[in-house]
Amino acid sequence: MNPTYARRRRKDIIVRWLCVGAAGFGVTWLALILLTLLFNGVKGLNLEVFTQNTPPPGANEGGLLNAITGSIIMTAIGVGVGAPLGLFAGTYLAEYGRNDRLTSVIRFINDILLSAPSIIIGLFVYGIVVVPMRSFSALAGSLALAVIVIPVVLRTTEDMLSLVPNPLREAASALGLPRSLVIRRIAYRAARSGLITGMLLATARVAGETAPLLFTALSDQFFSLNLTKTMANLPVTINNFVQSPYVYWKQLAWTGALIITFAVLALNIGARILGAERTAK
Amino acid sequence: MNDVTAAASVPPSRSPLPMATHAASYMEPPAKVTAHGLNFYYNDHHALKNINLTLGTNRVTAFIGPSGCGKSTLLRTFNRMYDLYPGQRATGQLMLDQTNILDPKLDLNLLRARVGMVFQKPTPFPMTIYENIAFGIRLYEKISRSEMDGRVEKALRSGALWNEVKDKLNASGLSLSGGQQQRLCIARTVAVRPEVILFDEPCSALDPISTAKIEELIQELAENYTIAIVTHNMQQAARVSDKTAFMYLGELIEFDDTNKIFTAPNDRRTQDYITGRFG
Amino acid sequence: MAVQGDAVEVAGPYDRAKALSAFKAGDIAFYWITRACAISVLLILGGIILSLIIGAWPAMKQYGFAFLWTQRWAPSADPPVLGALGPMYGTLVTSFIAMLVAIPVGLGIAIFLTELCPQWLRRPIGIAIELLAGIPSIIYGMWGFFVLGPFLAYTFQPFMISLFDGVPVLGSIFAGPPSYLSVFNASLILSIMVLPFITAISVDVFKTVPPVLKEAAYGVGCTTWEVVRNVVIPYTRVGVIGGIMLALGRALGETMAVTFIIGNSFRISSSIFAPGTTISAAIASEFAESDGLHQSALMLLGLLLFVLTFFVLAAARLMLMRLEKKAGK
Repeated sequence: MNPTYARRRRKDIIVRWLCVGAAGFGVTWLALILLTLLFNGVKGLNLEVFTQNTPPPGANEGGLLNAITGSIIMTAIGVGVGAPLGLFAGTYLAEYGRNDRLTSVIRFINDILLSAPSIIIGLFVYGIVVVPMRSFSALAGSLALAVIVIPVVLRTTEDMLSLVPNPLREAASALGLPRSLVIRRIAYRAARSGLITGMLLATARVAGETAPLLFTALSDQFFSLNLTKTMANLPVTINNFVQSPYVYWKQLAWTGALIITFAVLALNIGARILGAERTAK
Repeated sequence: MNDVTAAASVPPSRSPLPMATHAASYMEPPAKVTAHGLNFYYNDHHALKNINLTLGTNRVTAFIGPSGCGKSTLLRTFNRMYDLYPGQRATGQLMLDQTNILDPKLDLNLLRARVGMVFQKPTPFPMTIYENIAFGIRLYEKISRSEMDGRVEKALRSGALWNEVKDKLNASGLSLSGGQQQRLCIARTVAVRPEVILFDEPCSALDPISTAKIEELIQELAENYTIAIVTHNMQQAARVSDKTAFMYLGELIEFDDTNKIFTAPNDRRTQDYITGRFG
Repeated sequence: MAVQGDAVEVAGPYDRAKALSAFKAGDIAFYWITRACAISVLLILGGIILSLIIGAWPAMKQYGFAFLWTQRWAPSADPPVLGALGPMYGTLVTSFIAMLVAIPVGLGIAIFLTELCPQWLRRPIGIAIELLAGIPSIIYGMWGFFVLGPFLAYTFQPFMISLFDGVPVLGSIFAGPPSYLSVFNASLILSIMVLPFITAISVDVFKTVPPVLKEAAYGVGCTTWEVVRNVVIPYTRVGVIGGIMLALGRALGETMAVTFIIGNSFRISSSIFAPGTTISAAIASEFAESDGLHQSALMLLGLLLFVLTFFVLAAARLMLMRLEKKAGK
């Protein structure tokens, strides 16, 4: 083997192994994090977690019922408000405004909102909801989540609708369908699994969000369904409990972390399976 | 409505065999679509130049010519499909009976309900076979379930598809074969009861057997509908049409009885094209 | 008009017109609803900027530009003395170290996934990396505090100290008492968090390289590394940089994980094993209990962070758009 080639080959092999190492590094982190969660979380996993409210400091029994309920309520409202907004906005971009200057501006701004720090969204909602209402509230928390949902859904909606072949729209128009029906009955249906994927991803994204809730919904110890008051929620509860000196609280925090992580990952995987089905067709 | 029924009594003159001689003289049918000095632009590109022609009621008119000659563009002006895209515009006169197709105030959806279109690739909607048909009907008419069943069956029969799908009306339209999908699209178009049906290279994505079925279907449909078909396949034009228009570089070079075009064209370019010297 | 059974069955244009006019209002309404929703995106951005400026105004008036280079953060002093230097320094340093780790690793994984990995392993590893992005950030914080923190404090840091003891600059970078809470811990966690973004975008842009280009390079006898180095990376450079900027934008704004493990100290220390703070961590840990000038200063910090990330993300998007154009979409 000539020496130049030998040197090139050696370099190639080193780089290849470095790349394999990098992939191993990434996968190892995921495994380590999940294992830690399982190890610490499963110990506390029992029925009480889902049937009892968070305990007062120092108590040795209680669950996460109020926090889980609160999280579900706020996530549902957040997605319920944000997803239609994002869906319609994405529809405008993909269907009506394809050649519009406005569209490229909105797409650009949306991409920035998509990665904007979520704590900034929290500050924004604090300014427009909490200050005027003079109180932290579940409503404010939900709206903060909605603001995070919008760009995610908008982006996927636009992408998915762009994948709908134009002849399908033409065929629907050729039957005499008004434009809005072409979109709602044909384009939405053709892109359905993609649109649902986007909403699942958005749900996954906000279900674990903590920062924007810190000073909008706050959190508390009680079971409450009142949207105008503070509401317990899983991420902030975990945040508060895990830093406390009480062993039982810490245990609950780990269990909560386990629940929330697997819920979020399940949503992610579900979204991916649905997305893969679409591409396979 | 009156002129349509009147025209239906004109005996069909298409011959079953390719290149067979048509009856030399028959009554010219009343005009269904009339173009007069029609021009079309894609932004600055002048795609159709001063087109004059008429589509006879319940006749099949074929458009042939090399790729990019404007035949599909012309077809897409008949139902203003180009309106979906910016930068495309038509000038001149284009009439559907007494309606000015190019009228900017015209209700496009009404126009398209009167002028149906079948595309190059089959475009079944992502829903069941039954829904593919019922969908269009439901837009305009509120009818009972049993009436709808009747209409769907009728449409599928006129698309020559009924026997193949009657047992799986709830299967997805996408589960059919390419030729069946195309016939489903024809049935769907027929179901909304248009007056004119435009075919934009309806067989170019299909195998020969499916193609033959569709050609047969087009001839049957011509008893009740005015038909315009764009095709790359000259034999197909000869087989299915009464009149043929040869287009070249955005101009209508020759427009005459199909028989005449394929046996004794007037223009040199038509001659060259049909004998395969270019295209 | 009874057309039932009629061979022609042309529905009169009249009833059609009526049926269609029923849709007309809905058609127009739908257009305007979607347009309004699209414009609301602009309003949200405008609202964010405006509400931050309004909230930050008192602090801006009080401190002026000195806010940017004042290190002291004493909200309970009278009057409060507040400066952004500590959090800004922390934000930049943590993001810088995070990118230092995440860029080579993220690109390495992308190269592995696109060039080296056997087909059957591609999806599982790809999904595993993407799932890293799905884990809520608070979980990273907990993990950094309880698992990575002890390891760094009792194993890694003593090792580095013994290694660089007495070396002028490096010695002070690693100096200090061991602590779970440190700038370095936060940086490392950040690097794991942004890793999936770099990998995902790099994989996407690597796929835009026309296969003929790679085949041509392999055809003249290039090794895999040479193809990546001389064909793939030059071809996709703008996109890769865009992906890195996007990840940087994330790192700058990441909140919960950092808040957990950085220690929230506004003092700037030369050691990366000392506690520090970032803009987002400062807001997260103090905002709910703040008022008056203190709150306004936190809003001002938020505004600074937003401006910073806005420019980084805008640059990232512009670069990615350039690549999309090149790839012809």
